[in-house]
Amino acid sequence: MRILIVDDSQIMRKIITGALKQQGIKDVVEASNGLEAVKLVTADSEIGLVLMDWNMPTMSGLEAVKNIRAEGITTPIVMVTTESEKEKVIEAIKNGANDYLVKPFNPKDIQAKLEKFLQKV
Amino acid sequence: MKAEYINPFIISVTELFESMLECTVKMGTPGIAAHDDGVPDIIGVIGLSGTAQGTVALKLPVKTALKVVGQMVGTKFKSVDSSIIDGIGELVNIIAGNAKGRFEGHKISVSLPTVVRGNIYTLNNIENAIYLSVPFESKLGNFSLLVTFKPNEIMEKEAVHADSHS
Repeated sequence: MRILIVDDSQIMRKIITGALKQQGIKDVVEASNGLEAVKLVTADSEIGLVLMDWNMPTMSGLEAVKNIRAEGITTPIVMVTTESEKEKVIEAIKNGANDYLVKPFNPKDIQAKLEKFLQKV
Repeated sequence: MKAEYINPFIISVTELFESMLECTVKMGTPGIAAHDDGVPDIIGVIGLSGTAQGTVALKLPVKTALKVVGQMVGTKFKSVDSSIIDGIGELVNIIAGNAKGRFEGHKISVSLPTVVRGNIYTLNNIENAIYLSVPFESKLGNFSLLVTFKPNEIMEKEAVHADSHS
């Protein structure tokens, strides 16, 4: 399964990529903002899961989720963000995100989310 | 600045280091932030807005910054490059973002982080609010958290009202 990591921090993308590699997942693509993510998801049907940051320049993760769902794309999206307030979680889920992971996390947290969605594939 | 406002940020620092860096931190005595001490630092700064205004800064000597970001990605860094700058920005983003969720009744937004490198600077903000500085020790080196936090007047009045009825 190809996984798209969306985060404006290059270090955070590296951390997540490292956690995925530990799970044997090497097919990873990256985007540094929501707009790039929308373009990639729209163009690449092999992407099976999106790990999406919230606060990013150019286009936020939430806006990207809205845009992806507006295109009728149902690829699972997990928000990976510091936005931990209950209202934010509800807002993301209401707008089409499938799950939520709050930063800071450790690799096991990423792997647990991954297993959940790998089982569904 | 009330001391109680610093606690959510201290909890965030502790959790961040434990979960992402597998490193415990020991907090020193908080105090008023002193002026530049001449040691080259890297500072990640992020603004807070909404029902409270403030600034959160993570101040690390270069040596500590290299070790901390190195630990994050499992790499050894010998000098400051874009990865170090990016990593410190992300750390302060996580600290501020995580802490804001711990202020009940508040709706706070965080800005995108800015990272500054140098040894001649003074942190100021518009209202000249005083920064509370919290020193930390860790196996990755010493560093400081600097915070200024001021709830909007309405929020402060509500807090006083709640206290008087508790």
